[in-house]
Amino acid sequence: MVFISLRAGRYIHRFWGKCTLSLDSFCVFVYPVTFSSMMEIKVKDGSSLCTLVPDGEPHIMQSGSVSEDLRCSSISVKSTPEIEKKYVHRVYDAIAPHFSSTRFAKWPKVAAFLESLPTGSLILDAGCGNGKYLGLTPSCYFIGCDISAPLIKICADKGHEVLVADAVNLPYRTNFGDAAISIAVLHHLSTEGRRKKAIEELVRVVKKGGLVLMTVWAVEQEDKSLLTKWTPLTEKYVEEWIGPGSPRVRGPSPFTLESIPETEENGSQAHAKDSNDSLTENMQQSMCLTPQNADDVFVSKHGMSQQEYFVPWHLPYHRAEVSGASSGALANCLARKDDKKGAVVYDRYYHVFGEGELERLVSGMDNAVIVDKFYDKSNWCIILEKTL
Amino acid sequence: MRLLTHNMLSSNIKGVTNGFPLRIEVEKVVEKQVEINHDFLMNIFPKIDWKAFFDASRVMGYVELPEEAPEPSVLESDLEFLRKFHHALLELHLEEGALVCPETGRKFPVNKGIPNMLLHEDEV
Repeated sequence: MVFISLRAGRYIHRFWGKCTLSLDSFCVFVYPVTFSSMMEIKVKDGSSLCTLVPDGEPHIMQSGSVSEDLRCSSISVKSTPEIEKKYVHRVYDAIAPHFSSTRFAKWPKVAAFLESLPTGSLILDAGCGNGKYLGLTPSCYFIGCDISAPLIKICADKGHEVLVADAVNLPYRTNFGDAAISIAVLHHLSTEGRRKKAIEELVRVVKKGGLVLMTVWAVEQEDKSLLTKWTPLTEKYVEEWIGPGSPRVRGPSPFTLESIPETEENGSQAHAKDSNDSLTENMQQSMCLTPQNADDVFVSKHGMSQQEYFVPWHLPYHRAEVSGASSGALANCLARKDDKKGAVVYDRYYHVFGEGELERLVSGMDNAVIVDKFYDKSNWCIILEKTL
Repeated sequence: MRLLTHNMLSSNIKGVTNGFPLRIEVEKVVEKQVEINHDFLMNIFPKIDWKAFFDASRVMGYVELPEEAPEPSVLESDLEFLRKFHHALLELHLEEGALVCPETGRKFPVNKGIPNMLLHEDEV
């Protein structure tokens, strides 16, 4: 596979610091977030942290002082970080009906997995979204849960048995289900600790011998042009979030401020793209979109694999008016307007997975084994069997 | 929320040793018929905590279930029992009410048949 290599320097997320449409101000920021198992994080001498204070202005802090925001040892991995609240939960709540209308194609691999299960199975779908897979096999019984109440409402209206719950802390008794699925969910969890916890939960809630299917978006996208429409999050952000435990290579990171042209669309995998914006000359120049060789992966100029992204969702104006959440989102700078496309643009946080990453996450588990793993349509997929 | 789901749900609040079963507070129960799936009922029967299921069915206003769980073979031989089991498990819906943590008393609301099991920051 050939991937695009970014050679034009760092890209930062463009943040509307004053809630205007001005492109003049860029700021590097980190969210005052909580994250798990970060006890080993040490702030390097000479580095500085930029945290977002309530009025939205960036605020530079010196290293050495332990920030309130960085206290980690006492924060549970089950606690929801700000970035997920803002760029996962609130977004899906706001876009739920529109999102649901685009989620209808059943992925053959998921369907095959479900159809392979014995009749009469109890199947748990954690992060069920609009309930696309609930009831797919009529001989089985499905219970779905999702953190988004609006999405769950859509499921309930279709007659499914669902509840509002957190994938990192499933409210289910241990060993109850026959199988579980987690389709395009784990990539919305912003720390490795939370991703591991969600996997442990999936295994916990199925019986011994039960199967768990997980699918996540891959770094290695089949449609490379999609990646150009996503906003990679800064290296500094990655450091703060992932910490020294990450297998990534770290290096010095001087920032180059580049403007990111607004050629975006909904980076969804499962439905046909209606318009494929061709890249502007400007963008091509700044991004040097020439694949180098077959071994290139999507890396920053410092050799780190870029895995943290904001992926846009375009909510058409007429849909936004109906949902009502968008005026608040615009006021709070969680969304921006694209008058050209007639849509409110929301960013969704993604940690896309690299090859082998799912395997690495489960390698430490003593109660599950991998029975299958594959790459399909730009997703990494894995099937576990609970052994104890 | 069906009693099948209730039989699976447990309070996962920090510090709780045993969050099962959740106590049911009923405001509105609705009955919705659904086709009997014999395979499913046979599969699910051994998983059910019968005491919790029996108590819950009573709270929901259904008094037909036996207090003692019968032998699994009864599901094959006794169609009447099968029908009652099916009815209590899948056809009774808690539309409005709450599920109460047995240790902390914390109420998880059930609205329009949907339980909200999300925890607050301090419960995690």
